[in-house]
Amino acid sequence: MKPWLKFTQPLFLVVTASLLLAACASTAPAPSETGEGTLRVAFQSLVQTDPALISSDSEVLVANAVYDYLVDIDPLSNQPIPRLAREWQISEDGLTYTFTLVEGVTFHDGNLLSAADVVWTFNRLRDPAAEYATASLYENIASIEATGTLEVTFTLTSPNPFFLYDLSDNHALIIKDGTEDATDFNGSGPFVVENYSAEDRIILSANPDYFVEGQPGVSHVEIIFFADETAMVDALRGGQVDLVLRMSTPLFESLQDVAGIQTMAIPTNGFDLVRLRADREPGSDPRVIQAMKLATDREAIFELVQQGYGAIGNDSPIGPLYEAYFDPSVQPPARDVEAARALLAEAGYEDGLDLTLHTPNTGGRPDLAAVLKEQWAEAGINIEISVEPEEVYYGENGWLEVDLGITGWGSRPYPQFYLDTMLVSEAIWNEAHFSDGEFDSLAETAGTTLDEVERVEAYSQIQALLAERGPVIIPYYFPQFGAISDLFSGFQLEAFAGRTDLHTIRLK
Amino acid sequence: MAQPAKIQLRTGSAAPPGGQRFFAFLRSLLRRPTHAFGTGVFVLFLLLAVFGPMLAPYGVNQQIVAEARQAPSAAHWFGTDRLGRDVFSRVLLGAADIFALAGLGTLLAVTIGTSLGLLSGYRGGWFDELLMRFFDSLLALPALLLALLLLGTLGPSQSSVLLVIVVVYIPIVARVVRSVVLSVKTRAYIEAARVQGESSARILFREILPAVLPALAVEAALRFSYAIFLASSLGYLGVGVQPPSPDWGLMVFEARGTVSQTPWALYFPAAAISLLVISVNLMADGLKRVFQVNLEP
Repeated sequence: MKPWLKFTQPLFLVVTASLLLAACASTAPAPSETGEGTLRVAFQSLVQTDPALISSDSEVLVANAVYDYLVDIDPLSNQPIPRLAREWQISEDGLTYTFTLVEGVTFHDGNLLSAADVVWTFNRLRDPAAEYATASLYENIASIEATGTLEVTFTLTSPNPFFLYDLSDNHALIIKDGTEDATDFNGSGPFVVENYSAEDRIILSANPDYFVEGQPGVSHVEIIFFADETAMVDALRGGQVDLVLRMSTPLFESLQDVAGIQTMAIPTNGFDLVRLRADREPGSDPRVIQAMKLATDREAIFELVQQGYGAIGNDSPIGPLYEAYFDPSVQPPARDVEAARALLAEAGYEDGLDLTLHTPNTGGRPDLAAVLKEQWAEAGINIEISVEPEEVYYGENGWLEVDLGITGWGSRPYPQFYLDTMLVSEAIWNEAHFSDGEFDSLAETAGTTLDEVERVEAYSQIQALLAERGPVIIPYYFPQFGAISDLFSGFQLEAFAGRTDLHTIRLK
Repeated sequence: MAQPAKIQLRTGSAAPPGGQRFFAFLRSLLRRPTHAFGTGVFVLFLLLAVFGPMLAPYGVNQQIVAEARQAPSAAHWFGTDRLGRDVFSRVLLGAADIFALAGLGTLLAVTIGTSLGLLSGYRGGWFDELLMRFFDSLLALPALLLALLLLGTLGPSQSSVLLVIVVVYIPIVARVVRSVVLSVKTRAYIEAARVQGESSARILFREILPAVLPALAVEAALRFSYAIFLASSLGYLGVGVQPPSPDWGLMVFEARGTVSQTPWALYFPAAAISLLVISVNLMADGLKRVFQVNLEP
């Protein structure tokens, strides 16, 4: 069995064979109490440094090192875990969340962190006048109050079972009450910014007062800015940097069996989807998308486009990453070209169907289009491929207009996002123009119920419904790749690479 | 300058001497090894373009999942690319595409450019002024920039690339033809024809055109090599022919991301582009020598 086939397991660490041997041969020394050494990271340069405005992986990586989240998400279990909030209580009706903060946390300028800072931070993020990306995310919050020096209470207008995940949004880094310039790097986080040169690198040093015992694991971090992935990987190979996050599959493959480098691949819930507009011909006849599903060879796509990394998809945005919500028993129909042909004939396309497949020119999307063209041709679905720059594909909402398109969706910590923004009738990015009463009510139930069992059941039904008559084909889920020098330990890659914790990494 | 009397192509139908003249021309073209090499490789590519579909061991987009990303071997001479396609078959089948695209584009550009150049040079006056200033404005832009501008408007497709080649090369061909016409039209034999009362059309096509032909042959060969280059560049930039076409430039572009895994999928189409462009250039060089054409202004 090829090693990557094991990859369908929730988490799988790919370690080079030599390393495995080395690990077996000697027992690792106990981690030192105080961090030492410098970790050099290769990443893209920063555009934004205000936590409310950051978006790219490198911006989030720096912010996560300099500031703290109230609540964090565990990369292994995907569950909310404490960070600045030591603990929390949720009221019976799911409307009131009370957080108790860790005592004695200080900002880098020496001020003590208190509940007022948390209130100020979230009021800033949800202020509609400021037009931050988080304003709509936190629309549901009725009030935020400091109910003690170290106690914050959030009151919601309606129950939101995923509220803790929302509080751990990439932008929700706690800054000091009344901060005027939010690009001042005055966080409470594990690292202090020593020097930032926008064209070159950012140098961080360990925060000696960090509230977590034994963290950070190194005394300095240097994030060196690169414009090009290949150059980052070459620098890692040459020993100029120690850590590279996010890279293409071929580059990741090229790092296998390189002495001194350990590689890590984890599954994410990001995916490419192929969707057919359901509100007009030919997609208005559900047999057409059915035929497309039957004509698709998912194993071949997984092997060719993904090189066996990630996981095979089942046409639903609820992937295996969401362990409890993912229903492995739901499977799209196996490939059957004859059945696809028959369905097309029934739908009135006995002489074949001609369509243009629009795809952005990024990632594996053009390759996915090329593979589908071959597979579908066997069933009489003839597609012309139109590869477009992203600004053309997404520009002027062209992607919402075309009949047949490929769209990439990033990984999110919980699945409701995809249903609400992509598949319900009123979704803002309902690119397939899908409208199904049963689906809408299931999505509504899953997104509001406080009963976990009911939600799991709703998600299971949604997956079955989408496999049977959904307007999308989701052939695979992406992996996330990282590679680090084997001088270091404590590295745990995150699905969103920028959320990877640098403060747990230490010299062996 | 060319000697019109030596190139009486219009009498070519008069059998035996025509055949002999062709062999004399061929011998003269193949005399120097570099020119012989260029011509030979060009003819070889031409044959591959014609017979490629019969020779290719695999389909152009046939994806063999189990044999993806394999190094060159007996089964796959040029290896397989990331999608399990046979690179040798794709390079072979891409030859027909590039000949069709660059060949047809050059043919159209030469035909239209020659007509305009003849007319412009012979008539002169405001027509000549207007056309040449317009062409100057087009020539002021680098060919690739002009091509990108046009493609941005037309949208990427095979016919757009064809149109781009034609539009970019018409002014160049027209200018070359015009300059030859200008030097020829004052000669005595043209004067004589005019005095005899021959029509303008007859003078243009029976008296002046033959004088232009040698320069035109060289120019056409050069344009063809640049057209290959232009089409491949546009393919590489992703704005030309759309995947999964076996366009060589597009193949290089697509293989770039996987160069660490499947370098052969990049090298072979790139080598095909270089080899064809070099061979056509060498052949054009040979033509230049045989026809004793001096294209320098």
